[in-house]
Amino acid sequence: MDTEALIRELAQDVQPVSPNAVGKRVAAGLLAGAVATVVLIGWWLGFRPDFDLAMRGYSFWIKWIYSGTLAACAVAATLQLARPEPAPLRWLWLLGVPVVALAAIGIYEMAHVPSSDWLAMWLGRSWKQCPWIVLRLSVPIFIGLLWSYRRLAPTRLRLAGAVAGLAAGACAATLYCLHCPEASAIFVLTWYTLGIGLAAAIGALLGPHLLRW
Amino acid sequence: MRASEEQLRNWMVGGLNGSAADHATLLGALVPLLQAFYRRRLRDAAEDVEDLVQETLIAVHSRRATYDPDRPFGVWLFAIARYKMIDHFRRQRQSCPIEDVEDILVAEGFEDSCSARMDVDRLLGMLPAKQAVAIRRTQIAGLSISEAATAEGIGESDVKVSVHRGLKALAARVRGER
Repeated sequence: MDTEALIRELAQDVQPVSPNAVGKRVAAGLLAGAVATVVLIGWWLGFRPDFDLAMRGYSFWIKWIYSGTLAACAVAATLQLARPEPAPLRWLWLLGVPVVALAAIGIYEMAHVPSSDWLAMWLGRSWKQCPWIVLRLSVPIFIGLLWSYRRLAPTRLRLAGAVAGLAAGACAATLYCLHCPEASAIFVLTWYTLGIGLAAAIGALLGPHLLRW
Repeated sequence: MRASEEQLRNWMVGGLNGSAADHATLLGALVPLLQAFYRRRLRDAAEDVEDLVQETLIAVHSRRATYDPDRPFGVWLFAIARYKMIDHFRRQRQSCPIEDVEDILVAEGFEDSCSARMDVDRLLGMLPAKQAVAIRRTQIAGLSISEAATAEGIGESDVKVSVHRGLKALAARVRGER
């Protein structure tokens, strides 16, 4: 096909593009995935029955703010990497801030209980399942973000995959708070972060294969 | 005549607002730019240039939502062009017959390795001969310290000191040159 004919054909289909189409596309993928994850939680795990009570406790909010800030950073990076130009990503060190803050809270909590309780605090009742649940719950959100990327133009595919996995894992962890009864900061720091990190690692592995265009 | 960044941007914004005429003008104006871009980089695969130009035009069309009108158009365009080129190399490498691999590696790395070798020769020429030889043997030829010492007939610590001093002098020189 010669180039002239190609241009004529492409110019047949010129829909107006809304300003901030990238943001809308990512938001749509994220939202669709999040809805699927909430449905999955309700159907598979159930919401915690003491939800309104838990919302009054500080540990619920710490968990929520921790995974929420990680998710916000990761979504911001996802938006940047959805455009082809080289993106300044040095601000990603901010991801360390919630981790360090939560570690500080964890140490503070541990200082106020006898050391014989530390292991129970760290392992909670669900340490074996928690990372895997977070990882599984991240799947719908990851698929949603892959769908978003399909019409966008990421050029650093491994990083884009990692960041999408991180966003999916952190959003999934945020939603998992609807079910998860664990309360200690050190538990969240270890097992939530492990699940989120696994999601990011899998995203980095899959990115170069799934995001090509 | 080549279109200016300003013109290209205006056509792009027109296309984003739904003007088919602006969009067609833009794509037409990109053709010579992209041809020049790929020709310079694919000297030994001229037949692929037209394919890449067309692929890039399709990408510019289908992914135009990722252009932010507040940013320079050229950066966006060439980021896409570069991505398409890297993707092209990757695909070729996957499907190329194994006996050609060496030629491709040689051709692709030739310019870089030549200029690197010239730089290294020039820089090593500025050092005392003993240090230059020690660096060549251990850092470029890949000998171990003891092998280099045997080859020179000097002590191991002598080799180590020569390499260390030589590298330090080179680093200072390179920093001074910049």
